[in-house]
Amino acid sequence: MSDINIKKVSYLAKLELNEEKAALYEKSLSEIIEWVDNLKKLDTEGVEPLHNITEKSQNLRNDEVLKENSTEQVLSNAPEKAQNFFRVPKVVE
Amino acid sequence: MPTIKEIKNQLSNKNISVQELYNDYYNKAKKSKLNSFNHLLEPEYNKENINSSQARYDEGKDLSLDGIPLGIKDLFCTKGVPTTASSKILEKFIPEYESRVTQNLLNDGSLFLGKNNCDEFAMGSSNETSFFGPVINPWKNKNNTDSQLVPGGSSGGSASAVAEGICVASIGTDTGGSIRQPASLCGVVGLKPTFGSCSRWGVVAFASSLDQAGPITNSVEDAAYLLNSISSHDPNDSTCSSHKRDNFIESVGKSFDRPITVGIPSDYLKDINSDIAEQIENTKKHLLKLNVNIVDVEFTTTDFALSTYYILAPAEASSNLARYDGIRYGYRGEGNTLEEIYINSRSEGFGEEVIRRILIGTYVLSAGYYDAYYRKAQKVRRLIKNDFQRIYNEVDFILTPTTPNEAFQIGKKLDPISMYMNDIFTVPTSLAGLPAISLPSGLSNNGLPLGIQLIGNYFQEKSLLQMASLLEKEFCFNE
Amino acid sequence: MNNDWELVIGLEVHAQLKTESKLFSSSPNQFGSDPNSNVNFIDAGMPGMLPVMNSGCIEKAIKTGFALNFQINPYSVFERKNYFYADLPQGYQISQFEYPILTEGFVEIETENKVKKIRLERAHLEQDAGKSIHDIDPKYSFIDLNRVGTPLLEIVSYPDFNSADEVISYLTSLRQILMYINVCDGNMQEGSLRADVNLSVKKPNAELGTRCEIKNMNSFKFIRQAIEYESKRQIQVLESGGKIDQNTLLFDTSTGETRAMRSKEFAHDYRYFPDPDLLPVHISEDQIEKVKSTIGELPQQKLHRYVDEFKLEKDVAKIVISEKAYAEFFENLISSKLIQPKLAASWLVGDIFSFIKDKDLQIVDITDKSSKIIQLLEMIEKGTISSKVAKDILIEILQNNKEPVLLVKELGLEQVSDNKELERIVVEALIGEEDNIEKFQSGSDRVLGYFVGKCLKATKGKGNPKVINDLLIKKLK
Repeated sequence: MSDINIKKVSYLAKLELNEEKAALYEKSLSEIIEWVDNLKKLDTEGVEPLHNITEKSQNLRNDEVLKENSTEQVLSNAPEKAQNFFRVPKVVE
Repeated sequence: MPTIKEIKNQLSNKNISVQELYNDYYNKAKKSKLNSFNHLLEPEYNKENINSSQARYDEGKDLSLDGIPLGIKDLFCTKGVPTTASSKILEKFIPEYESRVTQNLLNDGSLFLGKNNCDEFAMGSSNETSFFGPVINPWKNKNNTDSQLVPGGSSGGSASAVAEGICVASIGTDTGGSIRQPASLCGVVGLKPTFGSCSRWGVVAFASSLDQAGPITNSVEDAAYLLNSISSHDPNDSTCSSHKRDNFIESVGKSFDRPITVGIPSDYLKDINSDIAEQIENTKKHLLKLNVNIVDVEFTTTDFALSTYYILAPAEASSNLARYDGIRYGYRGEGNTLEEIYINSRSEGFGEEVIRRILIGTYVLSAGYYDAYYRKAQKVRRLIKNDFQRIYNEVDFILTPTTPNEAFQIGKKLDPISMYMNDIFTVPTSLAGLPAISLPSGLSNNGLPLGIQLIGNYFQEKSLLQMASLLEKEFCFNE
Repeated sequence: MNNDWELVIGLEVHAQLKTESKLFSSSPNQFGSDPNSNVNFIDAGMPGMLPVMNSGCIEKAIKTGFALNFQINPYSVFERKNYFYADLPQGYQISQFEYPILTEGFVEIETENKVKKIRLERAHLEQDAGKSIHDIDPKYSFIDLNRVGTPLLEIVSYPDFNSADEVISYLTSLRQILMYINVCDGNMQEGSLRADVNLSVKKPNAELGTRCEIKNMNSFKFIRQAIEYESKRQIQVLESGGKIDQNTLLFDTSTGETRAMRSKEFAHDYRYFPDPDLLPVHISEDQIEKVKSTIGELPQQKLHRYVDEFKLEKDVAKIVISEKAYAEFFENLISSKLIQPKLAASWLVGDIFSFIKDKDLQIVDITDKSSKIIQLLEMIEKGTISSKVAKDILIEILQNNKEPVLLVKELGLEQVSDNKELERIVVEALIGEEDNIEKFQSGSDRVLGYFVGKCLKATKGKGNPKVINDLLIKKLK
């Protein structure tokens, strides 16, 4: 069995699972992790990780300003907004 | 089904107007019972585009895709048109921008009939994870005509709609097989281009290092038409290649003026069923008729591809989907604190499979597991890429089945791992970033379509489409 | 500070880069705009939006690399730091983790005339977050994404500081350098330079203690207060037998105290991984050389040059180089070569600075008057006017934008250096001063000053004091 702490994983992902769902996902994740664990059989000593198929250098952008949209467009899908701000319940730090 | 070229001839010869053509497809789509569209665009909505397209035909200045009604997978952001990724969390999202790929298609004169249903955030192989319900495959099992079959996924709506003939073609996306697998199960053509061919800008991300747009069509030639449009350099996508694109139509249907070698990986054929084995045998015969040299090849990494994929894709997805938090757009759950809004928006907004993948991805990236899973998988990914490169020293193309089975019944496959196994033949190519096409090759014992997959070397789409077009002629699948 | 305890402090400084556009988007990098007006779809983390790296940020990082003696890495990678926050639209911050752009640098600082080398571990590029505004409404917070994606260079030091003085000295010099090379505008009030302070205390020769991190401070004063408060707090806890919890703290500017941020159910786990939307950054030797040629003189180099070449007093030179704008102003004053650097420097740090300070101005506010100031200094240099008169004229220039040459003519303020005229005045001044003459001849130098003053008065301040002085000595002997 794997040692999946489903509570911690769902906490990090900002997902809430009730007891029943947590148990189901824990089982499902355990099975999947066990399934992918076959990678351990493969010797990868000295192999460089592959981040991206294109391993060329970054295409850089010139340091120039382009204004292509309005504030209204940025806010148009907001569930709650006020005075050109996005609005959320008060945050206590 | 008419090809793009044929439809364009009809429009040029005034046998039909752009408006009539659009209405015709729109009405068919509206009547369809297969749930392949999340959103249809009424003729009125497209009026301006229809008129300007007609004007270009009238002047004899039609563009490459002028007037062609297309389906667009609901993963591409389309300005002013709802874009949902088939998820509750984006149910009401209307982008203020147009993806690069769909902008290219509009620039070439095509008309968007609507947004195709797909698996939620493209996570699925049966189109059953959609918030808007499963898509139905137009094909029926001749031995069980009552049951409804899946179209495959995640671009299931695209494949079903093209197979049903309610749009001329559709643009899908492929991360681990999401174009090729549904194309195979619906008896249509599906092409996943080389990673970096088509811009990902404006495509709702699933796994950034794997996602790639591509056409689902009724013919190889149509796929070439669409690829000409969607494959272009985009400075707004850092991973999009800047090489000069070929004209992919030129060589379609032409025979090769050089000897061609196709490799068939024996390790892919180890445990396949008789339906699938027959497709490969049959394809071999046709290849021989085409004077193609066939060689056996063997990969050393095939058994590890699915595991690699199901670590890397969920890892990237878990991070890509963090932006759906109910603050700036999308579904917002109830909550008195920011934390509650996050949790409720996400827990209520995402479906079961998406949550599973987010959890897997979060786990493999978390402290203590990163090296064992994520970094390990990235190393294996390099071995997989090297494996293909080794084989491409000997062959021009690789031939494999597209799927391990025919279309299955909706609701039948329940456990995730057997669902993931659907992508066993398509995932290695995705990890290597290579171009691959699924071509309908014949029918199963149950009378259901099956496809073969042809894989090309990096950015060799032109010759890949050429090879596919020659085989297509041999298969006579559409007749 | 309690002598039994040693402070061990490390700093993470976030410097906002002075670029036109943001790190990964072409939105304006600008402070003080209307809410959400410098935000595009990338900044807002809209679906399908992709980052594209700004070449200007690489350039500024390379410059910083040179100025802070860093190794500039030919290969660096952007990674995602995953966490949720209202003003972090993507749900992750794009930063550098395993492969930062700069590693192993140092800065030399001076405290109580001792030079100390502060070692720098690394510096990496990353995105700034937006801002949440909590004080407009009792029930809601408001989110402004203007700052999202602003390029930051995070400069991480080793725990090489042992006092608040050292920290402040480092920050002062870091700020000065970054402003010199035009990498950061140094505006602390606007948050262009912010520091996280890692602090622990220990007994001499003991192992390092548990540290606390005080987050996100943008004033030298508060940083000093926070260090003083937090070190006392830790010492008190330890001396009363307690132990320090490794905590993230906020400094409350109203109480002058630090307090722990709300602790989370589980510790942070940022799940860094290479951003699949971005490719690695490769920096070539050519690129590095090209940037090197644009750096210009750094503050310490200027200081040495001013002292060696211009013979300025070190203290004066330090003030002149303390801000790039001052040094530029100074170099402009002496560019004609007609004015002695020492003269220009003493007027700059003297009367010109006091005027600016009095009127609450910046040096940039008077740069348009530098040609007039040059004329004024030339007149002083030539002896056309006395320094007393010059002081008044300077005010007229700075305040009323007067033409100094015209003004001197109009008011007849030219200094009298004509020997015959002055000789007459000196002779007159000595009449009836037999007592004082005797005092001088018997060795009292003070009397000379008295005579000079008397003569100057007779010239209404226009007499050249040096000439008068010489004449007096001649006559009195």
